[in-house]
Amino acid sequence: MPTERRLTRRGFVKAVGAGVVLSAAAPALLAPTISAAPFRGATPAAAVPGTLVIGLVAEPTSLDPGQLTDINSMKLLGAMYDTLVRFKPNSFDLAPSLATSWDMSPDGLLYTFKLRPGVTFHDGTDFNADAVKFTYDRLLDPNDPYADTGPFPFAPGYYGSIAQTNVIDPLTVQFQLKRQDAGLLDAFTLNTGRIVSPQAVKTSRKDFAQNPVGTGPFKFVSWDHNVRITLTANPDYWDGAPALQQLIFRPLVDEQTRITEFLAGGVDVIFDVPPDNIDQVKSTPDAVFLEQPGPHVWWVTLNTKQPPFDNVLVRQAANYAVNKDALTQDILKGTATRAVGPIPPALTWAYTDQVTQYNYDPARATQLLQQSGVLMPINVTFWVTESGSGMQSPRTMGTAIQADLAAVGINAQIQTFEWGAYLNKYGAGLLDQAGMAELSWMFDSGDPAHMLPNNLYGPACSPKGFNGGCYQNPQVDQLLDSALQVYDRDQRGSIYKQIQRIVADDAPWIFVDNQIQNAATSTRVGGLQLHPSFYMTYLNQLTAT
Amino acid sequence: MQRYLLQRLALVVVVLLSVSLLVFVVTRLTPGDPARVMLGPRATDEQLAQLHVIYGLDQPIHVQYVSWLGHILRGDLGESIQLHRPVLTEVAERFRATLVLAFAAMLVAFSTGIGVGLAAALRANTLLDRLLMSVALLGISLPPFWVGLILIIAFSLILRWLPATGMLSATGDGGPPDLLAHLVLPTISLAVVPLAVIARLTRANVLEVVNQLYVRTARAKGLPPLVVVLGHIMRNTLIGTVTILGLEAGWLLAGTVYIETVFAWPGLGSMLVNAILQRDYPLVQGGVLLVAGVYVLINLATDILYLYLDPRLRYA
Repeated sequence: MPTERRLTRRGFVKAVGAGVVLSAAAPALLAPTISAAPFRGATPAAAVPGTLVIGLVAEPTSLDPGQLTDINSMKLLGAMYDTLVRFKPNSFDLAPSLATSWDMSPDGLLYTFKLRPGVTFHDGTDFNADAVKFTYDRLLDPNDPYADTGPFPFAPGYYGSIAQTNVIDPLTVQFQLKRQDAGLLDAFTLNTGRIVSPQAVKTSRKDFAQNPVGTGPFKFVSWDHNVRITLTANPDYWDGAPALQQLIFRPLVDEQTRITEFLAGGVDVIFDVPPDNIDQVKSTPDAVFLEQPGPHVWWVTLNTKQPPFDNVLVRQAANYAVNKDALTQDILKGTATRAVGPIPPALTWAYTDQVTQYNYDPARATQLLQQSGVLMPINVTFWVTESGSGMQSPRTMGTAIQADLAAVGINAQIQTFEWGAYLNKYGAGLLDQAGMAELSWMFDSGDPAHMLPNNLYGPACSPKGFNGGCYQNPQVDQLLDSALQVYDRDQRGSIYKQIQRIVADDAPWIFVDNQIQNAATSTRVGGLQLHPSFYMTYLNQLTAT
Repeated sequence: MQRYLLQRLALVVVVLLSVSLLVFVVTRLTPGDPARVMLGPRATDEQLAQLHVIYGLDQPIHVQYVSWLGHILRGDLGESIQLHRPVLTEVAERFRATLVLAFAAMLVAFSTGIGVGLAAALRANTLLDRLLMSVALLGISLPPFWVGLILIIAFSLILRWLPATGMLSATGDGGPPDLLAHLVLPTISLAVVPLAVIARLTRANVLEVVNQLYVRTARAKGLPPLVVVLGHIMRNTLIGTVTILGLEAGWLLAGTVYIETVFAWPGLGSMLVNAILQRDYPLVQGGVLLVAGVYVLINLATDILYLYLDPRLRYA
């Protein structure tokens, strides 16, 4: 036996120990090498001139605009379809799209749209008033012969006020409303209402979801499920032919995988760079980091029907106790700004910061708690989700909020739920189960009319709507109703500003932050505009060298 | 033997029925609701009720189960709530991707694992043996997703030899060379653990057999070493190896989920995770049933393989 070569026990322990240390240290050792590595090496997988590859956060669920409920899938729709009206670049001001002009009857119950002449769908059929009627009848009428190509979950929420769609002439269409709905015009910018080719829906029926046909700057070519979706330029696009020849979307579900693939050159554009990777992307030569404040708000609902948060002083104290700037800077790494109310600043016409602002002030919080006469310390249950659309870093944020509250004597007991279960819990209401719960919202229509009536409206107290803390203020309810009956945007804006002032004083939520959307592109990409709505718009202006 | 096979097949049916019931009940008992996940914070009770009717979720649970089972017997797994396409189509595509990866990993794990184990056993207690077994121990200890990340850093980000993620490149033609290039890194990451297990097991089995009298007899007869190794040593270690084959194949099919996540591989594991998060009942049920079916069939095949490999079992 070659005993002299035998590994002693001590030697073995040493070797294993060294191995463990080395393997643990390997990523750290390699990290500087990665960021220093030349970006886009000899064979960048995606660098075909005229072709752009966009990384998605998941496989799209469908390409039928009416069916979609997730922001990720909606990213493709702007490439293939158009809406009646759209937002101007960089703002929530309306601009013509498939409709060239529009007007409303004095009572607000008739919306009339003049349509753009000479537009054709990708299948060669004409875009006209019949196509608009077909699109909205399919979405809204359960007895429509093509209603079974749905379901269309978002349609009743956005377009529920439409009673009937009438064709006046081939290029004039009229919506007749059941009730006044001043938010409807903004709702026509939404993905749900994108105009589909009637011919294609009739031919493909349910398969339309896999074979989309619209009027947009790019035509659908193929959907290689879970691998890629390929679109090609529509040279006849009414707003100018795209500069690109080809647009490809790839699903990359894991966020680190997405970053890796971007750094390896496999995709040209990724959205939602995680806060921890932003410095890495910014320090990569040949990568461009884009930011755009958006229509997002993140808050903690307080249960206004149960002690201690039925007391407005306690709710205000909670707002003073939470250090929101620390949250946006330390946890979210600057990917968000502090929120002062329920409406995000991106909605410039409806937003105001002239409200009671709750700057971080634990002393003030303690003082308010004393004034409230509530017995200290306070014990409450705090619902926290593990993840969720628009929820940013819900667990870390929940823990930080918990620590801030504990410092003033509010002991929040965190209960964590996975997103699907969380929505169920929150949707049923906080009731006697919880004092606090996290939530967020995306105002993608650029209009508070589609959010506030479901979240801060008395009659929408859960489970009727999504007003989980059951905030009820008759004055706010009345203002919300009247905002739907006023058609002048400035006038509506001032009503929403008034609502913000009342809501800020009532403090039914801890207002936390507004997210800043971000994206990373390689330097070969041009013309990518992040829109405040978080939609991808004006895609015919994209370039790739 | 026929009777034995019939018994086993009957058992397969019972197992699958139980799995179908279990997965159905568990998905319904899990808090959450596909309609709520779809609508998010936009949900009103009216909209939820509408969607429940469309998806048949307003029916009593036993009615839903019987109707689902009836459709399965007619070969219809239903339609995915989230993906708006037939469950069978989605599951089949995902399963194919997982199968490609699992098969490649199995091929690498078994060919290399048996080779390494045999080499170590035949040179037992030498430096080669210790080196191989230390590497194998390391292999078992490394989390596969970590191996995957390290491989990506080394071969995709620094050396730029191989694509980092995906099954096919976005702009390529999707031909076999494209697929092979994408297969290399995930295959290695997935194969490391089973390879190491097989190598250690093969070594132990071979060592047990190598000193048996019949091996000595074979050598004494003057048989060439290769014949001794293949015909006498390996043949008698195969039962153990096949047992592991069955177990590891199941593990590879179900356990690819980490690797699929790291490499954005469009397989069944990542599909199931997502379907569960979205409460896509038909897709979860169809996916689990398929995985269970394959697992049960692999085990059946393993048992049948025993009979072939070891004649003694045929009369037991």
